[in-house]
Amino acid sequence: MMWGMGADLSDPDLSDYRARGVMRRLAKMLRPWRWQTIGAIALLVAQTGCLLAGPALVGYGIDAGLRADDAASLNLAAVLFLGVSLIGLVLGRATIRVVSSIGEQFLCHLRIRVFKHLMSLGLDFFERERTGRLVSRLTSDIDALQELVQMGLVMFVQNALLFVGALIIIFILSWQMALCVLVLVPPVVIATRWFRRASQEAYLEVRERIGANLTTLQEGLAGVRVVQAFGRERSFTRRFRETNEAQFDANLKTVVISTRYFPFVEFCGVIGVAMVIGIGGIFVDSGLIEIGVVAAFVLYLNNLFEPVQQLGQLYNTLQAAAAALHKLFSLLDTPASIASRSDAIDLPKSGTLCVENVSFGYGEGADVLHDVSIEISPGERIALVGPTGAGKSTLAKLLVRFYDPREGVVSFGGVDLRDTTVASLRERIVVVPQEAHLFAGTIRENIRVGKPEATDEEIEGSLDALGIRERLSALGAGHGPSGLDLEVRERGSRLSAGERQLVSLARAALADPPVLVLDEATSNLDPGTESEVERALEVLTKNRTVIVVAHRLSTAERADRVAVVDDGRIVELGTHSDLAAASGRYASLWLRWTFDHSSAAPAS
Amino acid sequence: MDNERELRRAGWRLMGAFLKPQRSWVSAGIVFGVLWTGAKVAVPLLAAAAIDVGILPNDQSAIIWYSVAIVLVGALQALGTAGRRYAAFRISYRVETDLRERLFAHLQRLHFAFHDEAQTGQLMARANTDIQQINQVVILLPLFAASLLIVLVVVIIMLMQSVVLAVLALGALPFLNIAATRFSHRVTPVSLRLQEELGDFSGVVEESVAGIRVVKGFGAERLQERRLDAEAHSIFTEAMIAARMRANFMPLVDFLPALALVAILWYGGHLVLDGDLAIGDLVAFNFFILMLVWPLRMAGMLVAQAARASASAGRIHEILATDPAVIDPVHSKSLPETGVGEVGFSKVHFAYGSGPTVLDNLDLVIRGGEAVALVGATGSGKTTVARLVSRFYDVSTGVVSIDGVDVREMRVRDVRRAVGIVFEDTFLFTDSIAENIAFADPEATIEQVRKAARLAGADEFVMALPDGYDTVIGEQGFSLSGGQRQRIAIARAVLANPRVLILDDATSAVDPSKEHEIRAALKEVMTGRTTLIIAHRAATIALADRVVLLDGGRVVAEGTHDELLRTSLEYRTVLARAEAETPVVNSSPEGLSS
Repeated sequence: MMWGMGADLSDPDLSDYRARGVMRRLAKMLRPWRWQTIGAIALLVAQTGCLLAGPALVGYGIDAGLRADDAASLNLAAVLFLGVSLIGLVLGRATIRVVSSIGEQFLCHLRIRVFKHLMSLGLDFFERERTGRLVSRLTSDIDALQELVQMGLVMFVQNALLFVGALIIIFILSWQMALCVLVLVPPVVIATRWFRRASQEAYLEVRERIGANLTTLQEGLAGVRVVQAFGRERSFTRRFRETNEAQFDANLKTVVISTRYFPFVEFCGVIGVAMVIGIGGIFVDSGLIEIGVVAAFVLYLNNLFEPVQQLGQLYNTLQAAAAALHKLFSLLDTPASIASRSDAIDLPKSGTLCVENVSFGYGEGADVLHDVSIEISPGERIALVGPTGAGKSTLAKLLVRFYDPREGVVSFGGVDLRDTTVASLRERIVVVPQEAHLFAGTIRENIRVGKPEATDEEIEGSLDALGIRERLSALGAGHGPSGLDLEVRERGSRLSAGERQLVSLARAALADPPVLVLDEATSNLDPGTESEVERALEVLTKNRTVIVVAHRLSTAERADRVAVVDDGRIVELGTHSDLAAASGRYASLWLRWTFDHSSAAPAS
Repeated sequence: MDNERELRRAGWRLMGAFLKPQRSWVSAGIVFGVLWTGAKVAVPLLAAAAIDVGILPNDQSAIIWYSVAIVLVGALQALGTAGRRYAAFRISYRVETDLRERLFAHLQRLHFAFHDEAQTGQLMARANTDIQQINQVVILLPLFAASLLIVLVVVIIMLMQSVVLAVLALGALPFLNIAATRFSHRVTPVSLRLQEELGDFSGVVEESVAGIRVVKGFGAERLQERRLDAEAHSIFTEAMIAARMRANFMPLVDFLPALALVAILWYGGHLVLDGDLAIGDLVAFNFFILMLVWPLRMAGMLVAQAARASASAGRIHEILATDPAVIDPVHSKSLPETGVGEVGFSKVHFAYGSGPTVLDNLDLVIRGGEAVALVGATGSGKTTVARLVSRFYDVSTGVVSIDGVDVREMRVRDVRRAVGIVFEDTFLFTDSIAENIAFADPEATIEQVRKAARLAGADEFVMALPDGYDTVIGEQGFSLSGGQRQRIAIARAVLANPRVLILDDATSAVDPSKEHEIRAALKEVMTGRTTLIIAHRAATIALADRVVLLDGGRVVAEGTHDELLRTSLEYRTVLARAEAETPVVNSSPEGLSS
């Protein structure tokens, strides 16, 4: 793997060594809840004690009451049994509440903390990690923990306590018989370990097969139009059958494994009963124990074998949770590449945007920009042109400090961007991306992203300024809330690309920065809103420093200066007319562009 | 309400239909279940007898015989468990697998209009969540049948021993069943709400990560954090409601059987003291109670689960009951062997579902081998025309024909073979590039694949990829740029070698500086092939022999590009709007003068 971090994030296995580290760290994170945790453990121990007292009381009732023909002892045993059961009931309720409350608080805290950390990471991180994988950190990984909190944790601790408790009690009741019964424990433990390992492997395969099957399913549905267009329905169904049957086979493997394990454990349990009866019977005859002890033993056997089985099953949940925690911790350990320094200062209100001898490359990769220098004066409009992959967009990203240069300096008003507060930087320099991204929420809330503390009046004011208030107010008219109160769903799929772009521009207008970085869209907008977008842009860019990543030379034509970027260098810099008249790269680009578009609509 | 009940009933029928082929396994499961039940009940009876007949009268050989008998019965019990479990899981996985395949196959056959309405996410949920709900019930069925038997046998045995004791001991247990049922019913809506909250939460995460540039660009991290904070706390609230419900229910699972044990100890003990009950039977009663805990708990869960499963099966039934609208005719005609790919629209009316009219009495003939560009504003019906040629939809009235044959009179497969379409939004499968291009004909040789790629202007960049044509792309694979994806999609259509080629805005994402490379290749592809081009860029439109201007679902002007430029004001307007580049920077005249 190229990125060490990436390897960690995707690694599903967890060695014991790392598991210990995870547990230590978890204990540290749980510190704010340490008193509740201690209380929860105390509750669990007490409740388990109540559960274990039952069979002992039955044994006592039989021996002291029935065998001794003493009704008072029998009544005492029954009343005590009722009493501990009631106490167990109350304690059980309290335990689940306390454990859930600690767990859920912890998860809530973890969700917020991981997200905060995620938001503080630099763009480089987001560019090398897939969206889906990052999202799954906060969803499926934390859900794995939630499952543990909801069901597993109490059961796990309780089963462990039950097992140990039952073991202690049978020794107290009769160590001779306990030793005999204990012969059965090693085979059960060995079988459980085998089961754990075998089923873990099998489930890993099941997960893989499910993943593969889901991919075919998802693609078969998302790509159904292509499948039908090429008349491939049947063969695609065959393809699905293969992954589907593979999933079945993998599932069946897990069944075979559990078909071996569970009957075996059950059989061991019955052998235990036979041993208690057989050996216990002989002990009773020889006066070593009372018959009540035999009865109690039969009941305690349940408490020995059940927990082992349960623990075997819970182990996978626990393992999954530990793996999830480990991945979350790796994410939390990823340092933010772009951070405000402690002595950061605010950027001046205006100034020259200056790139000096900047070299840059992504991650460990080779340099994408080589020794680039350019000065952009206040109010100037500059267009970056050049072929795809030349470094235009990279340069734009450095201007807004999505990345820090490897060498050289990017400064605004004489202040190195690295020395400034991120907050002031975002106020001075704003980027309008190629494709407008909308968040769930109303249009108004989407615009407010530009300036979170803005009032409704300010928002409407910026819309008026751009002349798009009427256009946006007309959105979604007809049913439900409309206009600025229209709820954006599924990233704004109900709005056209142009309408989304208008919202994006309104955001920028609300932020009202002295410098704007625009990434021009490569594809055309819907003709309906295109002219409105144009007009709004005209207003927005007035009296601001503008850097535009131009995909159309007509855009470059209208800029004050044009910088031609090729292979990570600025190869030409000057006004459009100068460059077009010269005989360099720009001139030949311009020639071809005008030729390609000469057949188009009459020049406007 | 009635409708829902009807759906549930249909859901049960569907489950029944899929269980039917498994009937031998179902019977095996029940036989093993009965074996298991018998053995499981016999063990405590043998233990009781051992106490009463062996231990109390001090008969050592009886003790040993009973112990051996218990071991033997235990072996039978283990065999029963193995058979019962294997059968149960096998049946449920088989049903799940078969149902999913049937659903998938059906969805593949369903018409475009259905898929336009349905959301992929919803259909995925049918194939996953809903099928799993069904699986959960099917898996419990053999066990449930066996458990019912256990309850029955145990209750009868206890009643035979002592009616009063049986009533006292069993009195508390039905409450376990009631509590389990109530718990399931009450916790289900809470879990659903919790699921929703989790969905909202992941929505915030997803959009923040996907829109990280906007978030960072405006320094809106705080804003998103506040939203996430709110979502995380709603999850907490719902999770705690569910936790309180669990706290009220779970301890009952231990408590109610304990009540029964107390009753047995006390009342049964007094029976023993009075000489009306043997001690061994008392111990056996204790054992029986523990045996009943699981079946009763499960019965409660099963009732709730069955309700969910039947609703799920009902939803799947709804899809399976939808018949494909675009199907082969009873007597199909075939395309004339020597056809040149002439496409005809005659008096075609069309609307999507009950929506507004999209095509209004459209008459259009595209001669064999001709390249026609369809131009029009958004909503003029261009894409619809393209989709009708492939018969993705059926016309309301009128006829769409290829080489004189109505597309509805041919087998759907033949139509699709004859027409190759490149969609506006390219969809590529998670497969190698070669497999993607050879989608129409997996048998195609690598030479054919490369030839198609060359014609689509894709060969060069594909060869530059680390694994060349074996590079895996698609949603889960190597990510290509929009323009590269479109070129792969064009190659895919070219490889099918269709009579009619349709390019629906197929070069929109190609970088304008690269588009001229494709244009040359496209010209070659189009030679001698009927081609329908939907495009905005004049340079692409210029590839066509003839341009047809659509407006409001009818042809308003046609001619060559140059003719229309000269004669049609409307054409100029549409082109000017669509083609004129987006002037992102509007510079003032002063800016240009220098």
